[in-house]
Amino acid sequence: MAPKKLRRARLSQELCERLSRYQITTCQDFLCLSLLDLMKVTGQSYRNVQKLLCKVSLACAPKMQTAYEMKVRRAVNPSSAFLSTSLHGLDKVLHGGVPCGSLTEITSPPGCGKTQFCIMMSVLATLPVSMGGLDGAVIYIDTESAFSAERLVEIAGNRFPAYFDSDEKLFSMTRSIYLYRELTCGSVLKRIKSLEEEIISKKVKLIIIDSVASVVRKEFDTKLQGNLTERSNFLARGASLLKYLAEEFSIPVILTNQITTWLSNGLAIQADLVSPADDLCLSEGASGGGKRESGSVTAALGNTWSHSVNTRLILQYHDLPTRQILVAKSPVAPFSAFFYTVEKSGFVLQETDSE
Amino acid sequence: MQRDVGSLPLAPALRARLVAAGFQTAQELLDTGPCGLSKEIGISKEEALEALQVVRQECHSDATQTAGAPGTSRKCTALELLEQEQAQGFIITFCSALDNILGGGVQLTKITEICGEPGVGKTQLCMQLAVDVQIPECFGGLAGEAVFIDTEGSFMVDRVVDVATACVQHCQLIAEAHQEEDHLKALETFSLESILSHIYYFRCRDYIELLAQVYLLPDFLSEHSKVRLVVIDGIAFPFRHDFEDLSLRTRLLNGLAQQLIIIANDHKAAVVLTNQMTTRIGQSQSTLVPALGESWGHAATVRLIFHWDNNQRLATLYKSPSQKESTIPYHITPHGFRDVQPPAVTQNPEGTELNPRKRPRREEEK
Repeated sequence: MAPKKLRRARLSQELCERLSRYQITTCQDFLCLSLLDLMKVTGQSYRNVQKLLCKVSLACAPKMQTAYEMKVRRAVNPSSAFLSTSLHGLDKVLHGGVPCGSLTEITSPPGCGKTQFCIMMSVLATLPVSMGGLDGAVIYIDTESAFSAERLVEIAGNRFPAYFDSDEKLFSMTRSIYLYRELTCGSVLKRIKSLEEEIISKKVKLIIIDSVASVVRKEFDTKLQGNLTERSNFLARGASLLKYLAEEFSIPVILTNQITTWLSNGLAIQADLVSPADDLCLSEGASGGGKRESGSVTAALGNTWSHSVNTRLILQYHDLPTRQILVAKSPVAPFSAFFYTVEKSGFVLQETDSE
Repeated sequence: MQRDVGSLPLAPALRARLVAAGFQTAQELLDTGPCGLSKEIGISKEEALEALQVVRQECHSDATQTAGAPGTSRKCTALELLEQEQAQGFIITFCSALDNILGGGVQLTKITEICGEPGVGKTQLCMQLAVDVQIPECFGGLAGEAVFIDTEGSFMVDRVVDVATACVQHCQLIAEAHQEEDHLKALETFSLESILSHIYYFRCRDYIELLAQVYLLPDFLSEHSKVRLVVIDGIAFPFRHDFEDLSLRTRLLNGLAQQLIIIANDHKAAVVLTNQMTTRIGQSQSTLVPALGESWGHAATVRLIFHWDNNQRLATLYKSPSQKESTIPYHITPHGFRDVQPPAVTQNPEGTELNPRKRPRREEEK
């Protein structure tokens, strides 16, 4: 997404040449100058400069749509607005499932089932639309080398035995899941940048990154000076690239994160979540001096990242083997909790009357 | 007429030549005429004519300003302002506690900033306001339209559908209770479809698109003169990464703030911005503060901070020129932004002029 050159904003040739003498070649440079600076570099009067500004802005500004047009577009293709998780209670609360066109984060202490969830979603995305899937390929970026193809086949065979009745069908499903192993932040970012072309050529309908936290926390130690801003920059850039891909192609993006606990003197230990509100009280250190004595649980990666994701699901332990999945942040769903266990066929929700 | 040549909005090169040739006031230029100017300065007759037209327009608008023509002049007495403010409507939020601490609701011609942690409800309030601004006047609303500029991608049409449906139902219940003719007439045009068609949505992916959109906003608002609300959801997001030059960022943000204030005043619209929170690392502890720095804090007239206290969401009025600082709890229900418990309102069949929108609320579960 390189900045647009002024030539494409329909400015006259001589004006573009004159501006390039001042090193102003893109719309970005043009719009960042004040009006007086613009008068100086273009040599035009105030009114003409305002007209030029409007012209360049028209070339950069987004298109307008009314909310009604957006609704009609979604109504025309309702199945494409969500990817059903095949967990009935969760789908109902989320108005259909994992939303397309925005970022969804799964966060949990280690061993709760993040990778299992991701593998299950990969299977679901390859299913045909009639069965609630998206009938497309999946891009799986694995930073922990935790992906297991055998488990993938096991989940598929046990969850949809009627559909995957032959080996041929299982193999064609596995052929449409593209696995990339990236071990550093830089390579993850490079991979995300290259995804645009892959999505078009391979007809990808789901992007999974498992896990963002492990690769970021390996490289950025927030206690060192300067690392905090660098980390935020990396995360923000990654988030905006992923959002662009999600919206442009109307596909869901699933990311996984880890949980940490901060006591007031900065030690990080494992703890159980009490409620989603605890998770959302983010502070890298105690805020307000001692409001939370018992230690607040937070999702890792900090503030900026939490603003960037649109939906957040939290997994946590309950009484083994039962675990809990919480909807902590969602524009369409209130807080809800469901109990589940991890079986051969993936996640299985337990029907409780507390729901 | 006695305006100095150096202050005229002509091209800089031309201005420099005029001053070098010895011209001092605008009147001199007008007296010389285009042919004389072109001979003396050495420019073509067309260029001279263009310059004189600019000068004439400037002097004309100066003259009308000093004569005190209404509309263009920005002078008025405090009494006129008081009358204007009292007659002005507010955009209600459907949470009466929040409306009370704001002094009636979100004010027109002012910039209101909402800061808060992720997930606390800023976008929910923005979507609620985009629906509430369209409530017809007989129900106590402004019958306006809304512009929604989204930089984070958190606008969900399905949620707006829920909120709008609840709002329409609320108005229908009021109309049934009071049975007045203009209520029923207004309800014919106030439907889910019309609400959605009057929310104009722009998705800006980076700060350049945001700057470009704000430059184009005055023209858009002149075409759509019924717009009474401009929401920018996520003013912080595009400015928080990829900015090595912080002074450029401050300059761009200040420019944005100024343009938004002009838009709010000229078009009598309310501007609502949402901001993120960031951690400020102190010596011994860190605190959450609104993002974008200290200088941005001056941009907004009214500042609300949303935060958590255990499981309760709270809204604090942090900065306001007319109301005092206070904190109230609020709820987000499937129908939108609401109070925590129903206010103690008695049934009021007559006397609907004061608050036609108020009716006892049923407690929503979940």
